[in-house]
Amino acid sequence: MFSLLGGVFLGWSLGSNDAANIFGTAVSSRMLKFWTAAVIASVFVVIGAIAGGRPGIETLRGLTSIRLDQAVISSVAAAVTVTIMTVLGLPVSASQAVVGAIIGIGILNNQINLSGLGKVVACWVGTPTGAIIISIPLYHVMAAIYNRLNLSVFRSDRLLRFGLIAAGSYGAYALGANSAANVTAVFVGAGLITVFFATLIGGASIALGILTNSRSVMETVGKKLVNLDPFSAFVVALAQAITVHIYTLIGVPVSTSQAVVGAVIGIGIVKGVNAVKKKTLKNILLAWVLTPVVSCFIALIINFAYNLHYIPH
Amino acid sequence: MFNFLFKKENRVEILIFEYMDTLKLAQEKFLDAINACLENQRCDEFEFLITQTHKYESRADDIRDEINNLMYSKALIPDSRGDIMRLIESIDLIAHFFERVLFVMQTEKLSIPEFIVLDVKDLIRISLECCDLLSKQLALHLKQKPGIRAILGIIDTNESHCDHIERRIIGKIFDSDLDTCLKLQLKELILVMGEISDQADRVSKRINIINMKRRV
Repeated sequence: MFSLLGGVFLGWSLGSNDAANIFGTAVSSRMLKFWTAAVIASVFVVIGAIAGGRPGIETLRGLTSIRLDQAVISSVAAAVTVTIMTVLGLPVSASQAVVGAIIGIGILNNQINLSGLGKVVACWVGTPTGAIIISIPLYHVMAAIYNRLNLSVFRSDRLLRFGLIAAGSYGAYALGANSAANVTAVFVGAGLITVFFATLIGGASIALGILTNSRSVMETVGKKLVNLDPFSAFVVALAQAITVHIYTLIGVPVSTSQAVVGAVIGIGIVKGVNAVKKKTLKNILLAWVLTPVVSCFIALIINFAYNLHYIPH
Repeated sequence: MFNFLFKKENRVEILIFEYMDTLKLAQEKFLDAINACLENQRCDEFEFLITQTHKYESRADDIRDEINNLMYSKALIPDSRGDIMRLIESIDLIAHFFERVLFVMQTEKLSIPEFIVLDVKDLIRISLECCDLLSKQLALHLKQKPGIRAILGIIDTNESHCDHIERRIIGKIFDSDLDTCLKLQLKELILVMGEISDQADRVSKRINIINMKRRV
């Protein structure tokens, strides 16, 4: 069970980073208090992990079959990659880091499920694209409803707050369901824990990250990533949640950061403004390529170091 | 339903209406003071009414501070928060002009010459009409009811009318054989009076923009 700590560490760092994608806009713009957002996100992450985390875990465990020590190595490699990318200021995708590490271990074991890998990679490209496609009609539909309601300043304020909390809760549910696999799938693959226990540990560790270490990221990343009016922020949160949920149902862990950026680009297209800076986009593309590659490389190095033996002459 | 979750927002809404009611009281005292001055030239009542105007203006300031404090403690979403704070700030300038008109008359010991009394009365009447319309427009905006643009049009027309009266009065002042120094003092006073309708017009336009901005 001690081996699970590697997964908990990964879950904690994932929770610290990805909570910003769900409630970042609401907290950084002071529409919602940090603690309200953190508690809501934590509760829904755990519910999401338990209720919908199974398909993702089944997909990731099927990528390759690995031993327990290799499961720990892949978790640590992914967590180190997430940390390096965060230090470099590049947008982090924990799911890409995990998949990269699993592939690294798979290379060593000479067994990679190419069809499963193809499905995962295709969904990486599909995440922002899907978010763009979802956010555009979603914005139009929601705007038509909102304008028809013709609410007073105070009523519209209440509705938008409720909307942000509802979309954020849904986003947290989708994050839990989608990312529990990143945290504990390798341990299921290694036969250490059951799928249910994996979803529980995955959800709880992500929630722990949100509660203990997401404040600064939520307050700064939320501002850097999205600078939108409250209504657009609500649509972005909802589009992101729907996108991630769809991939959860397919059974592929995806990046919430990429889903948010996709949704923001969608809103930018609707409003005819450049909501996302070119530099941000360039960094995201760079991180797409770098994250799995670096994680794979780190997994190989850790595995190599782990297997070094002292041979006395 | 769920009103208990939005105590601060409900309080802000109540305070805005309270603020407008207090401003109306300041406006009434201002009108009484001006009338007292125009009808009896200088009188004791004038001093008392200046104090009354100041009292209601201060009360409005207190309410504005309470609204701002609630806003800073995160009532309302940032967009609405900024809009309402700027709106109250600009409405507050109107009360500031009421006081300034009275203080200029009080401190410079000015009395309005007979030949411009009717014009000044007209200027004040139309300016205060603008303020009443503005109050109605704000209520329509807060309750999201139609008619905001119609009121904007009336205030705009009234403001132009006030500008004409203002120029006419200043022309009359400089055509008269009053002392040059007094002419300049009166001109200054009329310009401050003119600011009331100008400010009401600015606030009215702001309300219209905020209202349009809220459509997505």
